[in-house]
Amino acid sequence: MPKLKDQRPKIMTLSGWESVFFWIFSIAAILAGLLTVMARNAVHSALFLISSLVSVAALFILLGAEFIAGVQILVYVGGVMVLFLFVIMLVNVGAEEEGRSAIFNRPPQVTAAMVFLGLLALVLVLYVIPEGAKTLKNPEKQQQAAIAREAREQNLQTGATGVSRISKETERVGMSLYTYASLPFEIASLLLLVAIIGSVMLARTLKQEIAADDVDPEVTEHDDPKMSVSAPSE
Amino acid sequence: MNHLSPLFALLFQEVSHGRAATALEGVKHPDLSKFLVIAAILFVIGVAGVLTRRNIIVIFMSIELILNAANLNFIAFSRYLQDSGGGNPLAGQVFTVFIIVVAAAEAAIGLGIVIALYRNRETIWIDEIDLMKW
Repeated sequence: MPKLKDQRPKIMTLSGWESVFFWIFSIAAILAGLLTVMARNAVHSALFLISSLVSVAALFILLGAEFIAGVQILVYVGGVMVLFLFVIMLVNVGAEEEGRSAIFNRPPQVTAAMVFLGLLALVLVLYVIPEGAKTLKNPEKQQQAAIAREAREQNLQTGATGVSRISKETERVGMSLYTYASLPFEIASLLLLVAIIGSVMLARTLKQEIAADDVDPEVTEHDDPKMSVSAPSE
Repeated sequence: MNHLSPLFALLFQEVSHGRAATALEGVKHPDLSKFLVIAAILFVIGVAGVLTRRNIIVIFMSIELILNAANLNFIAFSRYLQDSGGGNPLAGQVFTVFIIVVAAAEAAIGLGIVIALYRNRETIWIDEIDLMKW
């Protein structure tokens, strides 16, 4: 029995402290995600979402994607979540959302949802997962890849701690961003440009639009009095 | 209690046949499936948030949670392909970078819309934003 186990290379299994950290961070991510959705106050939601994102970044590191984990922390936690908090501060009317117990009080809808959930779970367990496992399991290729990985890691330098080897993962991700995915990379830059211009245009006040000569002053004069008050009186 | 005895018998049989031992093995050595389950749970939490919350900002945050679950799947499969030697193992990481870019752009535009909306309608509860509802 042990012989058979040795023959089959272990695919992508974590062990030792890695698995301990896996459980810690995955449970933290799920709990924080739940609290994000359940918190009554939007600021609490945002803070819980930040901790969920950080936990998922830790899972990325466990999976060997250090670059993506760094990007996740920098872009999501440093950029997007700060933006969220700013908007919450700008917009929050101070009201906390009241519970809506009516959602679970509709038997036909809840029954239909349960039936479809059951069907989904049935198909997933009986068909999708076994089929996927069948196609993903190819022992020969796995063995070859394990050997290739060993050979690749042997050529790497030892890290500063002297224990682990320096990962070339980031370098390879960067290379494939500029070769394998160079066209999407350029399109992403265009998308960001459009997003910048779009958000500036969306968030302008009427005053700023008039100042930039984007709105005909006559339009604002004929409209409701509230708008013409905000127009500059020249 | 008597009608449950077949269940108990089954349970103890399972234990004696090592099903529990394999479960413990799965806890000690998490593999691809555990990551996929975690990502699925995060995804479902995000969908529940989108469907049940009234605050439009919290809905946006739930969408971020959904995108993050997709990212976790991509990274897990990237690592899996790296170890099993099929396909392009770095495609998952490259995809994740693009998803993060799109999520950032989406958040910027969406929050711009929220601010414009708040200026015009003085509300962020989605059941009061019904201008385009037929």
